[in-house]
Amino acid sequence: MSLLFYLFSGLIALLLILFVWSVRSTRRRVPPSTGAGVPDDDGRRHMTYLSQIRQALAETDYEFLSKRASKEIVRRVRRERRSVALDYLVALRRDFQSLLRMARVIAAMSPQVAAVHELERLRLTAKFRWQYEVIRWKLLAGLVPMPQLDGLSNLVSGLSVRMEKAMKELGERAAVAADLASSVNRGSLDVT
Amino acid sequence: MNEIVVFDKVLWGLNVCLQARLLVLLLDRKNHRIFPFFFGYLLIALLQNVVTMVSYRIWGFSSSNAVRIAWGTQGLVILGRALAVVEICRRVLERYRGIWALAWRMLAGSAVLVLLYSLAVASFEWHLLVLNADRGLELTITVVLVTFFLFARYYEVTIEPALRSLAIGFFLYSCFAVLNDTILESWRPRYATHWNLAGMLAYLASLLLWNWAVRERQPAIAVGPVLLSQGVYQNLAPEINLRLRLLNEHLHQILGPEAKRP
Repeated sequence: MSLLFYLFSGLIALLLILFVWSVRSTRRRVPPSTGAGVPDDDGRRHMTYLSQIRQALAETDYEFLSKRASKEIVRRVRRERRSVALDYLVALRRDFQSLLRMARVIAAMSPQVAAVHELERLRLTAKFRWQYEVIRWKLLAGLVPMPQLDGLSNLVSGLSVRMEKAMKELGERAAVAADLASSVNRGSLDVT
Repeated sequence: MNEIVVFDKVLWGLNVCLQARLLVLLLDRKNHRIFPFFFGYLLIALLQNVVTMVSYRIWGFSSSNAVRIAWGTQGLVILGRALAVVEICRRVLERYRGIWALAWRMLAGSAVLVLLYSLAVASFEWHLLVLNADRGLELTITVVLVTFFLFARYYEVTIEPALRSLAIGFFLYSCFAVLNDTILESWRPRYATHWNLAGMLAYLASLLLWNWAVRERQPAIAVGPVLLSQGVYQNLAPEINLRLRLLNEHLHQILGPEAKRP
């Protein structure tokens, strides 16, 4: 069998996998025009529990405990701390995805988009996913120190007023589009 | 003509009947106005069947004249198919003006790259030239369709079921054509008799899918979303990207100085 045969077969197999994945995903999704694409402000909810999470991950607490408590308790605490750190990581990912989704909805609903911003977002997404997986596996293996949460408040403290205004505009326009679509469809049915 | 086995003839007849049915269906449901390039492609493909059938009757199945006519008309058929695929992409994405402007450049760019690549890796024996060009174009169609679906998925654009089925039909046929052409190139003497049959079976599957896809009348006007004002994207896109970058930096801090970049 020739190299060319393997080359094209591999290429087609890859394309088939990508195609099935993308077709399946588009079937489940809702259109951005319905307004369902507008993400909620998860960041604010995460911030409510920030002080408790910070306390749970404090290094001083852990040192104090390891001197006073039994090994079994220390082990349990370590397990729980790891679980908290993983939850925190998941929350970070959710924040990232919320922002990403909002950006995509805004891009889809905009009359003009800049390739630079779109490509930058793709690059940031790839980087985030890579780092996220590396940290998650390191946390699971106990190879990474507990995350510092100090910078979090600056990142997920909610969206700016301008963003909220845009979301409001998006919702209003989506409602108008939905009305228009239903009236046109009614019209086309009448024609037949 | 004698070389064509009975099964081949039956399959050919079935394909022609389904093509004709599809054309009638498009006309009857007035979908030919919605998909003019798809309609044109089917018409060309049907005419190709008639012309090659006549040429086989006059010159014989293996004659050089018949082969030249069959491959020559194939160029027109693939061109029609490519235009029909562009029509599908356009119908789905043109409502989203901003991302359509980005999408068509990406689709055109990927099409040119794949075409150049497939021609570069092909062997330039003169008798395989048409086959290689055919494979290159079919591969280009598959890549364009995958890029289109990935694009739609990324921006959460809904694809109407009929359009999705038409695209799936094109994709499956083109995938199969690439493999079929590659196998023919590798095992030319042994596979030649089965090559035509395999191609017709794949086309039959696509025709069935297309017949099902256009069974109902499609809405004449695809109403898109009312778009946001111009400044919203310009203001928010950099702001969101900045936040995404900050989240990335936060992860990088957690990872420590030894963190590796993808």
